[in-house]
Amino acid sequence: MWEDYMDYHVKLDMFEGPLDLLLHLISKAKIKIEDISITEITEQYLDYLDKMKEFDVEIASEFLVMAATLLYIKSRSLLPKLKDEEQEEADPEQDLIRRLSEYKKYKEASEKLRERENIYSNIYYKLPEELVDEKEKSYSTLIEGDANDLLLAFLKLMAQRNFQKTERRVYPIIRRSVTVSQRIQEIKDILYKTYQCSFFQLLEDNCHRSDVVVTFLALLEMLKDNQIRIYQQGQFEDIIIRRA
Amino acid sequence: MDERDIMGLIETLLFVSGDAIPVKRIADFLDMDLRKTRKLMEKLIDVFNFERRGLQIIRVNDSYQLATRPEYGEYIEKFFGGDKKQTLSQAVLETLSIIAYRQPITRMDIELIRGVKCEYAINVLMEKGLIKEVGRMEAPGRPILYGTTDLFLKSFGLTSLEELPPLEELEE
Repeated sequence: MWEDYMDYHVKLDMFEGPLDLLLHLISKAKIKIEDISITEITEQYLDYLDKMKEFDVEIASEFLVMAATLLYIKSRSLLPKLKDEEQEEADPEQDLIRRLSEYKKYKEASEKLRERENIYSNIYYKLPEELVDEKEKSYSTLIEGDANDLLLAFLKLMAQRNFQKTERRVYPIIRRSVTVSQRIQEIKDILYKTYQCSFFQLLEDNCHRSDVVVTFLALLEMLKDNQIRIYQQGQFEDIIIRRA
Repeated sequence: MDERDIMGLIETLLFVSGDAIPVKRIADFLDMDLRKTRKLMEKLIDVFNFERRGLQIIRVNDSYQLATRPEYGEYIEKFFGGDKKQTLSQAVLETLSIIAYRQPITRMDIELIRGVKCEYAINVLMEKGLIKEVGRMEAPGRPILYGTTDLFLKSFGLTSLEELPPLEELEE
């Protein structure tokens, strides 16, 4: 049974935990969980832990707890029982058997799931066409976003608008008249009329980079002051802005 | 439009969408009641299967999606030279099956069944979108309750949780 030295080596890291190891020992002995002999199984279990030490495998604490439990059950069975005690205390052996059966159930279920996984991991899907985004918006539930989502949408917009990298070395410096507080007022006005609007809507197609920045800052400010709520469908998507 | 036209239209919508479309959305769009729409969808699925088309329509929790067939998976990998999708490790899969059958469930209860820590497995499953937080248990510390997602159903070819293979009953 355990004589085959190489056997351990192959199987050492195979067990997912002490219950898994016990199930293995039980199935090797070809007995039902209910019929286990604690004395025998404890011996084999401790034997296995010894082998693990020999191979310098770090033994997880769970394995040691189980070893203690097994020894406890074994010692308990050796001691004469008082009648009262028998009734009051939960039987740790029955408890272990119940746990083993329970674990076995899910282990078997996971094997069935593995078969299904092997089949269905072979299925492929197509990505949505780009036009789907806009249309779906009204249908799917909105998720609440935070400042980070706002930032991502901002970055996406910056990339999209592709602020032309012109050859000119000299840039005219335009002093923009719109300040953040002015922009906040503008957004407030829009929201007052329409209840909600989107980040991309707030920016005209040919707007200046500074408009994007000012609008973004305005939204951050309003979000901080709890004047608005923002929603976003996913990363890099448009941001829906609503009155708080 | 006759029925064939409508089925063609639905097929088109599924193709453009790529993602799963809820049956309600299709019903609203076609101005048909839900029952009739579901029936039509089942018919469309049958047509796809009967004609042994390369694509199939799968149903997950009352949504429909266009997908390839599993039997062609290996050819897709050969043709495009991609790697087979990674499968879950045993520890992760065991954790997933406990969550699937016992949801909503806390991490502690999962660990009680498995007899080992499951933090890593849960993190992997969360990252892969196979499980999600479904709430908090009204107990000290308000531990997170986990449940499976639609992606879980899809990844294992299930249309709903009722379709999970039955658990072996405990031996008497």
